[in-house]
Amino acid sequence: MKQFLKLIFFSIIFTSAEVFAQENVELVAQCAASAGNVTYLKDFIVKLDAGVPGGNPPSAKFSMVLSKNTQYRFSICTAPDSDGEAILQLFDMNELQGSTYISATGKEFPFFDFKCQKTGVYHVFISFKEGKPGESVGILSFVKKL
Amino acid sequence: MKVLKEINHFNSIRFLIYLYLLLHLFIREQQTLRAMIKKLITLFVVSLLIFGCKSGGERNKSDDFYVPEDVVNEGVLEISEEVMQDIVQNISSPVEMAALVKSLDVNFSKEYLAPTDNVDELATSFQQAFHLGVYAADLGYLNIYNKNNSVIEYITAIKTLADGVRVGQFFDFTTLKRLAQSNQNLDSLMYISVHSFNQMDKYLRSDNRSNLSTLMVTGVWIEGLYLATQVAKSEPHPQLAERIGEQKIIMGDLMLILENYRGDKNFAKLISELNVLKDEFEDVTITIKKGAPEAIEEDGMLIIVQHDVSIVNISPEKLKSIIEKTEQIRNKLISI
Repeated sequence: MKQFLKLIFFSIIFTSAEVFAQENVELVAQCAASAGNVTYLKDFIVKLDAGVPGGNPPSAKFSMVLSKNTQYRFSICTAPDSDGEAILQLFDMNELQGSTYISATGKEFPFFDFKCQKTGVYHVFISFKEGKPGESVGILSFVKKL
Repeated sequence: MKVLKEINHFNSIRFLIYLYLLLHLFIREQQTLRAMIKKLITLFVVSLLIFGCKSGGERNKSDDFYVPEDVVNEGVLEISEEVMQDIVQNISSPVEMAALVKSLDVNFSKEYLAPTDNVDELATSFQQAFHLGVYAADLGYLNIYNKNNSVIEYITAIKTLADGVRVGQFFDFTTLKRLAQSNQNLDSLMYISVHSFNQMDKYLRSDNRSNLSTLMVTGVWIEGLYLATQVAKSEPHPQLAERIGEQKIIMGDLMLILENYRGDKNFAKLISELNVLKDEFEDVTITIKKGAPEAIEEDGMLIIVQHDVSIVNISPEKLKSIIEKTEQIRNKLISI
């Protein structure tokens, strides 16, 4: 019986990993599709724990090269069972370029377009509002040449 | 983009089979201990087959010539693995250079593509990973121009190489082939192609095989540059010249990563080839005009317009020289 219980335990671990991976693939596909009539380039899968009270919300960082005279789209999708609402921010060095959440107005956007005029390395940060835990997918898409 | 339904269900099927076996065993728990042990053994064997078939299927003849990638990764890295992974991401996309070429109304030419005839002769994981990148860029070019007839040739080559470096499980060959043959759902074809490439790249990096990921990225980059330079040679355009010139920035990062693997003789040879090209970019200058980004809301959509502008200065002579060197080096590298 012990062996049987062990088997069940390991089975749950294996199958959970399989399901998690599958859910990621589906969320990426759904999020890419919801970005509209654009060409998918990259995805950023994020799973973050809750932040420490009074501290900065945990975030995940991704770096990428963007090219001049190109319009890109940055989309964000929060996994259905997440506590928090995901936010995607784009930085050039330390300078914020765009965000899916405008804190000054409280407005949220499922995506924003970025008309790039400078080829170089940019950074995407994904976090959750109020440092809540959650899972999300960010998508970088190609819109058009400018 | 249409809703994408073409997702690989292989993992789901494996999961369902496994769950079925588990439930079956549980229901039968009332049976004698001997019968249960039998079931356990059966389940164990089946589990091994289900979970193990992936890695087993990925092995091929190239294992005999396996490049010591682990040895390479064990060496002292000049920059940490984490920083390196940070740089590698999206250093070069298999789609963007082709999209630029198409936006300039340049006709498609199969002449720009790397031949796939010698795929079976690529025996080492070094060669396979590099060519995987080259063919991924070519597939991006074919997809952008909707040249489905040739797509099958390239996805077949990519599948062979992906299996060679044991990332074949991320390349949904069956679905891609069906989509290419049916000439429908071209957006799905593009999506699955690019997504598969990203999955392979991510897996290699998470599997402590960043050296192979770097080779893939290098392959994509050199093939993209080759495409741009070949088009610039026959149909010159200021946007192409600028895009070629700004590869100086990307090449700097790429060389930084490649240098980490100099300890391997194959990498040392590759670095030496690419250094010739890097020298060509020395005279290209890039200046930045600063400006604050502007946010515009149009029909409820947020658009950010960047006002920092990069300006590339590349002389016609230098461009000509870069075009020639790129052609020489790329042709040499794909003939290895």
